[in-house]
Amino acid sequence: MDNRKKADKIYYHQAMLLVIVLRIILGLTYLPELNTPPANQDIWIMLLLSILYTVVFSLPLLYLGNKFSQYSFYEYAEMIMGKFIGKVINIFYGLFFFMFLIFFSSVFIEILNSSLYDETPTIINITILMITSTYIVYKGIMNLARLGELVIPFILLLFFLLAILGFENYDFKMLLPILSDSKLADINKGALISSLRNTDSLILIMLIPYLEEKKDVNKIFIKSLIYSIFIVILTVIIVQATLGIEYTKLVNFPFYNFSRLIKIGETQGFDLLYVVSWIMGNVIKVSSYHYFTTVALGKVANKRNQIFIIPAAVVNIIAVILLKDRRPIIAVKDPFPQIFIVSTVLGIIIIPLILFIVYLFRRNKIEQSSNSNKN
Amino acid sequence: MRNKIAISLFYIIVCICLTGCYNARELDQLGISLIMGIDIEDGKILLTAEIVDPAYTTESSSTIQGSSVKYVQGSGNTVLEALRDITLKFDRRIYGAHNKVLIFGEEVAKLGLVSHIDELFRDKEQRESSYILIAKGAKAYEVMGITNGLETIPANYILDLIQNVKYNPKAVVVSIIDYLRHYYHEGHHPVAGVIEKIKKMEIDELGESTGTKNYELTIIGSAIFKKDKLRGYLNGNDTKAVNFILGHIERSIITFPTPTNVFEEGQSEIGKQQLSSVIVIKSKVKNDVEMEGDRLILKTKVDLRTSLGEFNGKIDLTKEENLNKIAEACSKTAEINIKSAVKKVQKEYGVDIFGFGIEFHRKYPKQWEKIKDNWDEIFAEADFEIEVKTHIIRTGLINNPPIVE
Repeated sequence: MDNRKKADKIYYHQAMLLVIVLRIILGLTYLPELNTPPANQDIWIMLLLSILYTVVFSLPLLYLGNKFSQYSFYEYAEMIMGKFIGKVINIFYGLFFFMFLIFFSSVFIEILNSSLYDETPTIINITILMITSTYIVYKGIMNLARLGELVIPFILLLFFLLAILGFENYDFKMLLPILSDSKLADINKGALISSLRNTDSLILIMLIPYLEEKKDVNKIFIKSLIYSIFIVILTVIIVQATLGIEYTKLVNFPFYNFSRLIKIGETQGFDLLYVVSWIMGNVIKVSSYHYFTTVALGKVANKRNQIFIIPAAVVNIIAVILLKDRRPIIAVKDPFPQIFIVSTVLGIIIIPLILFIVYLFRRNKIEQSSNSNKN
Repeated sequence: MRNKIAISLFYIIVCICLTGCYNARELDQLGISLIMGIDIEDGKILLTAEIVDPAYTTESSSTIQGSSVKYVQGSGNTVLEALRDITLKFDRRIYGAHNKVLIFGEEVAKLGLVSHIDELFRDKEQRESSYILIAKGAKAYEVMGITNGLETIPANYILDLIQNVKYNPKAVVVSIIDYLRHYYHEGHHPVAGVIEKIKKMEIDELGESTGTKNYELTIIGSAIFKKDKLRGYLNGNDTKAVNFILGHIERSIITFPTPTNVFEEGQSEIGKQQLSSVIVIKSKVKNDVEMEGDRLILKTKVDLRTSLGEFNGKIDLTKEENLNKIAEACSKTAEINIKSAVKKVQKEYGVDIFGFGIEFHRKYPKQWEKIKDNWDEIFAEADFEIEVKTHIIRTGLINNPPIVE
């Protein structure tokens, strides 16, 4: 890891942009916060509170990431837990990323079917997506970060542009006074659920070995979290003010519906701007999860991650076809939220916490072996 | 060499793939619908679409016989089935993305709008920004096809009427999304625009008989809904009052009796004969509710910035106190009209179309939880207080009217 060339490094702003877009793209897609308790005008308070939970939940991950900044997560999992358990953990994370890869790809196809290509077969859409993702993943995470550096500012710019263009449709009377209809328990529950959706902090931890300045990781984590939550809050407010609090709960793709309503004179069709930016953001998201799936598989098999790129893409194509052609993904919610909550509790809280505790007990031994590895 | 072949192959494949969308439909395969009418006939949905005829242009209108639009109808048990029924009678698939207006027959509106428009907002083609109109006392197809403006396309004629509401708020402009917002929002029942076929006063003119020449359309008034079921209609003046309370007054006029004798004695009396008008430049509305014991008071404060649009009377407008008296007379008239409209809605329909329920929810969230299911009954019994403040900030190009000596 030490001898990575300067050009192979991810810079501070690249990492931050990447994590921001991974987080907000969920909001721009189906905005699950709208149906998360308290599911009313107080969602923004819930989201602000979720920052606190996200930070608390990510503490073990951040601590280990800082401590083992020269190693990948998969490497130090094996160093702390030993080869066998380490491999089991890596298999879990491989499956974790792969499961989200299937989900995000399926949602991508669903919104494409709903917005642009309603008659295009799933196989065409998913194959094009996975060819793109495979190419990006072959080029490596640094190139993904560079692509993000070009594309993400454009996505953010389009988001703010649409928010401004839609101003005429805002009806702030829809937003009732804060805390008039919510209980603190609901807000707390929502914040907890919302913070558990933040799987993208795991991506940041995976990025640490590639960071040019590894000490920036905490700064990137906090800043990207705050910026992304700010954008999600803005999304929630503009969607609720445009569509109304109750109707937004019924809409599968709220920001898409919001962008459909934008009208300047008789000119409509601004939703295409949204779809363009959304496709770019999703390609980055899918590629990131594709990449880290292959890295985990590579680590388990002690092989280069490249050999798993195409197999993972093919399995993803098959899984998405099987899933997407059988049922809607967003409209029929169960059982995805339950599976995701269990997975994220395991992947973001429990396993890192176990690693952290075991590390505290075996610190001296691990540090000795780490030093001998370096020497 | 191998690289060159690979690159050439890549470009050929890309060129083939990028020639067009998968399963693209070209313009000449689509029947672009501009207005859709939804009715119920013989227990089935009857859908009427106004399809623009691309062969008919302004230039060709002198040579081609017929109309710039065609009307097609389909029926079915659901809206979607009715839409698909058209495909077996009409050679092009109906394309709804350019639908500007949806007209519902009165019968459909009475049965419930939302259950009949599910397909329209589930499908991506129909835009939620399209306007909703209710055919007053008629079927939707009975008001379609009438044009009395300069527009040759009836849909554009109706659309222009809707856009003219900004000059005369005796009608309401409600889109699908406006309707849905209020449908789902507790404490504010939706209203919708109306469209009515009325007999046109015959004026001698040189024109060809089109069969519909004796009729014109008006969108004056509004339709009141309880949730999604039509309860009744408001006339133009009452609708204007609704627009006042909802803060939708823009470039509207208010006509009021001119105060007399001001010029001579400096005293204001409401004259019965002479009327004057002001044009609203800007309005600010504040709705509120207040509980006084068991009594609920609905309160509206309207602040108007106006321009004197027409003045008939003998008053020296160069004196500020006289201008204030005119403003006072305008305020008084607006207050009387708004109060009468609110009373009418309370007594005749008993549904809160003004959104006072939202204000109550905002102010008394805990009580709201207890009374929200009975809000309409409470609203119907509530007292109403209105305060209009008018400021005349312009008098136009002249000050005193020409008749002042």
